[in-house]
Amino acid sequence: MLRVDRRCFHNFDWILFFLLIAVSIMALLNLYSASYPPITWGMPPYIKQCYLFLMGMVGILFVLSFDYKELHFWNYPFYALIIILLVLVLFAGNSAGGAQRWINLGFFKLQPSELAKLMLVVSLASYYSRKEAEGGYGLKEMVTPVLLTILPFLLILKQPDLGTALMLVIIFVSMTVFARLRIQAYLVGMALGGGAAVFAWFYLLKPYQKLRIETLLNPGKDPMGQGYQILQSKIAVGSGGNFGKGYLEGTQGHLHFLPERHTDFAFSVWGEEWGFFGTLFFLGIYFSMLLWGLYAAMTARDRFGVFLAFGVVMLIFWQAVINLLMILGFLPVVGIPLPLVSYGGSSLLTTLLALGILMNVRMRRFQTGLGADKVSKG
Amino acid sequence: MKWSGYKNLEEINEHDDAALDSLKRRLALAGVLILCFVSLIFARLWFLQIHKGEEYKNRADNNRVRMSDIVAPRGSILDRAGRELVTNRPSFNVVLVREDSNDVDNLLKKLSLVLDVDISLLWEKIREAGNRPRHIPIRLLEDVNWETLAYVENHNQEFPGIRIETIPARVYHYGDLAAHAIGYLGEISRKELESRDASIYQGGDLIGKMGLERLREKDLRGEKGTSYTEVNAMGFEQQLLKDVEPLPGNDIQLTLDAELQKVAEDLMASEEKAGAVVAMEVKTGRMLVLASNPVLPLKHFVGGISHANWNALLENKKHPLINKVVQAMYPPGSTYKMITAMAGLATGVVDRDTVLYCPGHYSFGNRRYHCWKRGGHGAVNLKRALSESCDVYFYQVGLRVGVDRLAEYANKFGLGHKSGIELEHEKKGIAPTKEWKKQKKGRKWQEGETLSTAIGQGFNLVTPLQICLMTATVANGGKQYLPQVIEKVTDPDGKVLAQFEPVVVDELKGEKKHLAEIRDGLVEVVQGKRGTARSVRIEGLTIGGKTGTAQVVRLSQYRHLKEEDIPYKYRDHAWFTCYAPAEDPEIAVTVLVEHGLHGGSVAGPVARAVLEKYFSERLLLAEEEAGKTNGE
Repeated sequence: MLRVDRRCFHNFDWILFFLLIAVSIMALLNLYSASYPPITWGMPPYIKQCYLFLMGMVGILFVLSFDYKELHFWNYPFYALIIILLVLVLFAGNSAGGAQRWINLGFFKLQPSELAKLMLVVSLASYYSRKEAEGGYGLKEMVTPVLLTILPFLLILKQPDLGTALMLVIIFVSMTVFARLRIQAYLVGMALGGGAAVFAWFYLLKPYQKLRIETLLNPGKDPMGQGYQILQSKIAVGSGGNFGKGYLEGTQGHLHFLPERHTDFAFSVWGEEWGFFGTLFFLGIYFSMLLWGLYAAMTARDRFGVFLAFGVVMLIFWQAVINLLMILGFLPVVGIPLPLVSYGGSSLLTTLLALGILMNVRMRRFQTGLGADKVSKG
Repeated sequence: MKWSGYKNLEEINEHDDAALDSLKRRLALAGVLILCFVSLIFARLWFLQIHKGEEYKNRADNNRVRMSDIVAPRGSILDRAGRELVTNRPSFNVVLVREDSNDVDNLLKKLSLVLDVDISLLWEKIREAGNRPRHIPIRLLEDVNWETLAYVENHNQEFPGIRIETIPARVYHYGDLAAHAIGYLGEISRKELESRDASIYQGGDLIGKMGLERLREKDLRGEKGTSYTEVNAMGFEQQLLKDVEPLPGNDIQLTLDAELQKVAEDLMASEEKAGAVVAMEVKTGRMLVLASNPVLPLKHFVGGISHANWNALLENKKHPLINKVVQAMYPPGSTYKMITAMAGLATGVVDRDTVLYCPGHYSFGNRRYHCWKRGGHGAVNLKRALSESCDVYFYQVGLRVGVDRLAEYANKFGLGHKSGIELEHEKKGIAPTKEWKKQKKGRKWQEGETLSTAIGQGFNLVTPLQICLMTATVANGGKQYLPQVIEKVTDPDGKVLAQFEPVVVDELKGEKKHLAEIRDGLVEVVQGKRGTARSVRIEGLTIGGKTGTAQVVRLSQYRHLKEEDIPYKYRDHAWFTCYAPAEDPEIAVTVLVEHGLHGGSVAGPVARAVLEKYFSERLLLAEEEAGKTNGE
């Protein structure tokens, strides 16, 4: 049952939409180059990504069709569904490189952990917006958000997918800090977090994960292993120089020196082929989109809208920053994609749905109370 | 749950505007956070792409471009007439590229059957390569024949990682001709690699190991080319980017005459003679023949000589490894009498008409010094003394001149010092003096030793080249030329880079008359009725020469034995040195036959054959003319 206010069309955020389209077009062009020369079997990644992008557009339309505040309600079945999928993936998932992350849906492999990020944003936004606390939240109020986070966190860590699991923690911290805690809650939280980190280093992290972090601190130590990836990525980006080697002319990517060149390291290909000014142009548009998202939060009509918009921006922002810092040799290889740019259906769909929510918040910025419903009913 | 259901939603819309505003203020902080990270990322991009861009560009190129050498064709070696002695041909090597083969074990098993080589040898080659990068080919078998080549090429699917490498290899058109002078190539050794320019040589390269191939390495080697290939991260070749063609080496034309050299070598070889044959142009110093027998078997050296072959060469009592032209020293024997005669005439102790009496021996101190002719020559003048090689005559001349002045003239004729010829390990020989003996032996010179010296025995030691030089100097009237082996060096376009110029090293001035008198005696050696080398005579050609016998041991126990009963290694060496035509000498030929016993009859025929070949056209012409006059 669609209840759409006419003002919604009027208030549709064309700026955000065009920024998204611009980023997506450049990302698809880059993906074509990153998977060039074309493989002889199967569907080339850029075609797949095109289809998924169109699917995501339909998903955005769907998200726009209802008022975002209904997510207060849909949040719960959605959360339950994701948890079920995460459990399922541990038993029936497709494994690749020693990790079980996917559920094969036939036409595409779903990675529930990607959706879990968005799920956490919505759940926390719903919780914090409903519960207001004078002078910040105390420890008692933190029990629910922590539980909401820790359940999918542990399931994803079990796969194992350290990068995505850490993303959940980052989303939790961002939104919680944004919602504000009391001082003692911060202190306890930091103590617990630090303790968990130490515990994780000694008992939870796999040797290869530790190696990645060690390699970052001393990349010369292991040039053919983890350090090799970072080094080759730095060579790719650095050799782009001022204006790059030209589209489809990058050698680091096409000669396979660059690992994972259409997934995690896709932006290295862009850097190599378009150079410093090309990366400036692309990232300029990319981060304008995120800043515009913050503006959307600023203009939201209610607390839920603010939290949702903020959460979506942080979800994309942190992934982008971590991915870029990894590509540029500042962070270990943790397997975080660059949203919209890296190949990967689940990530793309999640990102587009998240942006759909952002558009929804922005579109309904002038509606107050249940006025929208009243109008549409009337 | 309290929040489910539509009704409750209304409650949350009754929000607190002040709280909402403070929340929105914090959004500005989030904006600042984003801008901070964006600045950090841009700064990093600037550092990588602008500041270090050039460096990373180079690293990206080094990543993808693999350079490999293209061997340059080595320069050819020609004889004086432009005949090709040594050139190149394509040779096909079977090489293994380890990165392209995933089952080397099986591959080698199959390959060893096809190549008919023991598998352990193939493994040995791979072991030798050690931890060289896996994309660098390892030579498994060099210079395979056509059938093997065709089989491997046709069945390349069965041999992943095996390729055929084509490189230039040496072809010796005249077999082992002048092998000692020309030398051979071999794979560069670790020691050579260390001492040479790394930009020119690499492991596996061929390099001149001996002879002119070694001495003229710089001229012959040319410049390697480079092939630039793009490779991917796995090392697989993607495409050829460009080839820089190699620059072929320079050609070297020798002064040697292949035909003459062949005559000399063949004759020596056919009679299994060990020794040396040397011929030079007396008025220029061009070397025409530089033969050392037994010859060096060059084919044993291609691709590295085996232990067994090397030991066989080492243990051969005829010493094929030594270039006897310059590296072996012998007493000059009676050939030295030219010097004694020259010293006698020049110092005036005798003249051409001085007659000395030979009773078959000469008493000096309390010893008797014998003439080779026990019965004695009777009264001899210079001409007879030379032609019949009377020892007693020269004993007396030597005594009158004194050993130091003998050495002085020996030096003038090229003995006792290196000639400077462009060959390796030249020996300087010994022209003894009183001073020399004191220094080397620590004892005073005995006058009796002057007698031995005067007839070319005693401490005297010479190389065959020196005797040839001496003969040439006598023949040309006193000029000692630098013996040279290179006629010219030309670059691949035919441009002459260096050309032969005669060089006079030393000259005996004002002695033309005396030299002519000596030459009269030398002509008599060959042409005279009682000359010691009558057998060398050639109809229509006047030859001047001198025989010589170089004592190997002075053991009296062998003196009384018949010649054939003396053990080979104790037999005397045989010399014959000559020049022709006597009227206006052009060529000097020297032959030494190790343990050959008789200069005239053993060494002489070899020299004769060389002269016949050298003058063949003129002799034929003269014969025709003679025929005509007879017919009239």
